[in-house]
Amino acid sequence: MKVFDVDGTCICLGLFVDVTNSNELLSLMQAGTLEPEVALLNALLIPDVFPVLAAAHKTLLAKSRESLTTKTLHSELVYNYSGSKHISESFKRCGISESSTYILVAWFNASVDEVTAIGELIKGKEIELDELDGRADHSQIQKHYKISSLELGVSSLADAITSRIAVRDAL
Amino acid sequence: MTCFFNNVIFLYQRVFETTFIGRKSIIKERFSKKYRHPILDSKLTIKRLNAEARCMTKARRLGVHTPALYAVDPELHSLTFEFVEGSSVKEILLDMGTQGIIEERISDIATQIGDAIAKLHDGGLIHGDLTTSNMLVKSDSNQLVLIDFGLSFISTLPEDKAVDLYVLERALISMHSSCGDVMERILDAYRKSSKQWCSTLNKLAQVRQRGRKRSMVG
Repeated sequence: MKVFDVDGTCICLGLFVDVTNSNELLSLMQAGTLEPEVALLNALLIPDVFPVLAAAHKTLLAKSRESLTTKTLHSELVYNYSGSKHISESFKRCGISESSTYILVAWFNASVDEVTAIGELIKGKEIELDELDGRADHSQIQKHYKISSLELGVSSLADAITSRIAVRDAL
Repeated sequence: MTCFFNNVIFLYQRVFETTFIGRKSIIKERFSKKYRHPILDSKLTIKRLNAEARCMTKARRLGVHTPALYAVDPELHSLTFEFVEGSSVKEILLDMGTQGIIEERISDIATQIGDAIAKLHDGGLIHGDLTTSNMLVKSDSNQLVLIDFGLSFISTLPEDKAVDLYVLERALISMHSSCGDVMERILDAYRKSSKQWCSTLNKLAQVRQRGRKRSMVG
């Protein structure tokens, strides 16, 4: 788990592999009873933490202006990370599914108790965040964000995703 | 509407340095204009802000180096993007004008400029403000980066592309005539890169005779 500072709010990120209980997590989350409330992201679509933090920045800004599009702060993070305006499609692709085994957990304003609570909630092995790039599914990312090889000639994958996250509401 | 990376206040916008999640970045802010009706003002400002964000990212999709966009704030009317370490083509050419010309360097920069504009134009994107201060050269890689898409728009008309090139030609002639005919080299590269060079350059010849604005008489 690593804590990042985004605009004065802390956000904690943890990466898990070989997760066995994602169907349980998914149903808890859909019922709104996941305790503590966190964002669970499909880590296959995440090559770097920077785009996640850019999405977090956008989420916090929307929160401070009371203009969240989705129901909670954490669902907004998943929605923002997707770079798409289609909410349910965003959750399907960038959130977790019943068969997910590779998950990035993100939560805002975490307390020490919550950090341990999360460790117990997710049945999997925690790994370092530097492994994101090596484990990401680059072709799936390119397909989801519509990133051409032409663009990758001038930009990193992470920057291409960040640009799409930023520009979504301007389209 | 040119911009420098300092705390310089211009008529239409303010540009300053900052950090965005640990990365050095630039914020470009548009002000609201108090003399306009508030509703009209907010609509116009938002429209232009969004257009700039769209064009910047479109240029990247076309394979042209531009700063990566980090955030768009529709309430403060600001864009946050990557800080590019380097100097503008304007500074480089002016320095060469006083300290002696390095042929190789000019040729490399001109080729990159022609190439970048050709990619934009073939993708249907007009930069709208091609001046040497809106082009940066990265200090580590000598890579050309285009900035300031505040006047950009989407068009496939040869007329718009030709005017885009004409603006650059005028800027080069007035600022950098001591560097020789840089435009010639830019157009050479443009011709090689662009698939639609023929109609654009024909149009450019017409634009040169009449100037940037089409005559609206009659």
